[in-house]
Amino acid sequence: MAINPMEQFEVKPVSWAQAPLFHIGHYPIYFTNQALWMIVVVVSLSLFLILSVNKGRVVPTRAQSLAELSYEFVGGMIDMTSGPAGFRFFPLIFTIFMFILFCNGFGLLPIAFTVTSQIAITFFLTAVVILTAIVTGFVRHGFGFLKLFVIKAPLLIMLPMVLLEFISFCARPLSLSMRLFANMLAGHTMLKVMAGFVITLGSAGGAYTLLAAAPEVLIVGLTALEFLVAFLQAYVFAILSCIYLSEALHLHDNH
Amino acid sequence: MSEHAPEPDDLRALGDRIDALKRHEFPPPKKNAPTSGEVAIRFATELVSAVIVGAAIGWGLDWVFKTRPILTIVFFMLGAGAGIVNVNRASREITERTAAAARAAEEEDKER
Repeated sequence: MAINPMEQFEVKPVSWAQAPLFHIGHYPIYFTNQALWMIVVVVSLSLFLILSVNKGRVVPTRAQSLAELSYEFVGGMIDMTSGPAGFRFFPLIFTIFMFILFCNGFGLLPIAFTVTSQIAITFFLTAVVILTAIVTGFVRHGFGFLKLFVIKAPLLIMLPMVLLEFISFCARPLSLSMRLFANMLAGHTMLKVMAGFVITLGSAGGAYTLLAAAPEVLIVGLTALEFLVAFLQAYVFAILSCIYLSEALHLHDNH
Repeated sequence: MSEHAPEPDDLRALGDRIDALKRHEFPPPKKNAPTSGEVAIRFATELVSAVIVGAAIGWGLDWVFKTRPILTIVFFMLGAGAGIVNVNRASREITERTAAAARAAEEEDKER
């Protein structure tokens, strides 16, 4: 019995809407499993945040304290990296953090599609952050923003360093999006491979059937690890966004 | 016009006070010392992505100036250099975060 562990990442139209919704030029636009799960994430995230705080109790309920906790968590993160000036980005960072956290979390449901395991999604999120940083930098510092690439050094060292800094700046969107994408892809593939072992060993008969318990136990551990990774990657993505935005705000001040 | 036009210094002092209060509103997140897995993946992606981007820039410039493969090679190496710069920067950042987490833990111990 062959199980393809990569099949779970296939973007395909949902079973109850096989026909394309509409066309852009010659390209048919489908309602895919990815779109479905993004809608699920956004709707449940909005409902959670709106319903939990709409009463606004002084002594928070459990749901309200969860919402307050996430608010304070992101607030503390921005405060730590870029100080009070960074709070203009609070809505952006909070949205990105909660979206990634919920996508990762929903992805762990057995039937779910992991939205953040698609490079298109993670790269788009990264592009929003980096473009915001670039626009902020130019608005705040004018062409002085380009000083970001300049390091005080003798001219002979400075010139190649400017090139290196430029490449390193260009590499940021790639590393930021690859990290989230690769983490989710690797984790979910690993779970599927282990699950495949359980089925193959379990159906092999004899002593092999008993051996099937080993990957089964591993899956439990891996699932726990995946919950940690789901949170950690949302945190890492948000804090790196904070750092990049803070660099655009303060240039080299904080180095 | 009111009798006491607000002095710029007063406004600045008020701004500082508001900032101080705001700062108090958000305690820094505790226990955020990076795990070793996080550090490993961070370094790997920083290094690899810089090399890829460097090579891609070289490839593009080669295509523009019709000088394949010289610029690809040059920019591949520059990309590797940029990757090392990135890892250096990431390690500094992670060291700072570890130190901050250790300090927070120490303060917590003192409070007990």
